[in-house]
Amino acid sequence: MNRIGFLVAALACGLAHAQSTSGVPATIVARANAFLVSLDEGQRSRVLFDYNDAAQRARWSNLPTTMVARAGLKMGELKEPQKAAAMALLAATLSRRGYEKVLAIMEGDETLKSESGGRGGMFGKDLFYISILGKPSVKDPWMLQFGGHHLALNITMVGRDGILTPSLTAAQPAKYTVAGKTVRPLGAENDKAFALVNALDEGQRKQAILSYKVADLVLGPGQDGKTIQPEGLKASAMNAGQQAMLLDLVSEWAGIINDQAATARMADIKAKVADTWIAWSGPTTNGMPAYYRIQGPTLVIEYAPQPLGGDPTMHIHTIYRDPTNDYGKKSAAR
Amino acid sequence: MRRVLVSVLLATGLAGQSAAHRLDEYLQATLIGLTRDHVELEVNLTPGVAVLPVVLAAIDRNSDGWISPEEERAYADQVLRDVALQVDGRPVPLRLVESRFPSPQAMSEGLGTIRLRLRADRAGRDLRFENRHMRAVSVYLVNCLASPDPSLLVGKPERDEAQRSIRFAYSFADAYGTRPEPGWPARGSLWLAGIGILAGARLAWQRTNRRQAQ
Repeated sequence: MNRIGFLVAALACGLAHAQSTSGVPATIVARANAFLVSLDEGQRSRVLFDYNDAAQRARWSNLPTTMVARAGLKMGELKEPQKAAAMALLAATLSRRGYEKVLAIMEGDETLKSESGGRGGMFGKDLFYISILGKPSVKDPWMLQFGGHHLALNITMVGRDGILTPSLTAAQPAKYTVAGKTVRPLGAENDKAFALVNALDEGQRKQAILSYKVADLVLGPGQDGKTIQPEGLKASAMNAGQQAMLLDLVSEWAGIINDQAATARMADIKAKVADTWIAWSGPTTNGMPAYYRIQGPTLVIEYAPQPLGGDPTMHIHTIYRDPTNDYGKKSAAR
Repeated sequence: MRRVLVSVLLATGLAGQSAAHRLDEYLQATLIGLTRDHVELEVNLTPGVAVLPVVLAAIDRNSDGWISPEEERAYADQVLRDVALQVDGRPVPLRLVESRFPSPQAMSEGLGTIRLRLRADRAGRDLRFENRHMRAVSVYLVNCLASPDPSLLVGKPERDEAQRSIRFAYSFADAYGTRPEPGWPARGSLWLAGIGILAGARLAWQRTNRRQAQ
């Protein structure tokens, strides 16, 4: 599938999902089963894992799959109908905005592959993996994992809930062109954050902006179950408009999951917004590299430009966690 | 014992890995865990491929292309010497609890992380940590972990710009019950200061009374 065709197919899947939002869990289970039916027995045995397989749950990274091995089925080894079934499952599980973000990250990796010449073998859309932990079900918990270089989605389905934490979204290049159109996979995460920090008054900014540099994610891959002492500006010291901007920024991660699950998640985050903090490190002029962290009782988000491979604004890592409910453990225990 | 074909790995590793991950920095990330009776540090050290020769030279002391358990231990001891922990203004010795070294192949690709777990069997109310290990090539992160014990109170930390050092007040809430907001000095410290002032005032009052009685 060429690059434009890929995006068109992606949009079609997104539209299909938008039309079936009311029956999301049943749709998701049906698409999961359709994907599994499309596989041969050997493929099925490789894509399915026990729901409690802790090693598989934690088998994700920002790094290329040639460096940190993933398990499951690789997109590049699937036949076109199988790949389409896999992407249809993903489209049903995510919101349209989330699905498009995922496709843009994958397309960015394809761009990185083409820009890397002979060294591009570790990048590209074919090197993304899918796996399922447990048996797809409307009522019993199961997990869908999808990821590769710069992407790790860990989606736990618990009844009608969908838990997206922990998940990693990243982009390199963070801006590229396809068919004459500029794509910024994490552009909203950047622009909304700069808008928020510039909407703060001087006193608020003084609290929000850290006096030190932050070189990388603090709670990235391998840091499951941990959280750190919050710092920066507490949202209880923000006005209603600033809080709304903060929540809108958070929705760039919380809204990756399908609309029903995202609505429930955003309601929880909104209820705790007064206890949510934002910390900023770096310049406040959009276009410059700046790190930020948003942290609440059930939320950790980090956005970290990477000084690797040149311009830090072109290489972004982010992490999204709920330290109380990563991998849906709390929801599954209810 | 792991065999390190340093030159071969560097030659292959440096060539094609820079787009994906850390390149010319040695990332040293420390998480500080606090309990009622000890301080535990998780120190994660990730050398970028371009600084790997410098880091490997410090590990592979005899340059024989092998990293032995003795060399791993010696490197961990070097890190121990290069970090400093103070509790309540006094230096506190740290000991190595656990160390895990990645495969040489992983390090050559810039994705291997050396993991050290250090512990000090001392608790207090004021903590300062500093990391001086390989300053010329390193970037640092240092943070205090939130504790599963909800009574832990941590004051606003102070760091230098490069995050080589951190200092903060902390205590456990038993004596005063409520949890201060992060970003403010630990309320426990204020209580202690208040008790100290009251005790001093009472002593002064007693002395004054004694002098008047004489």
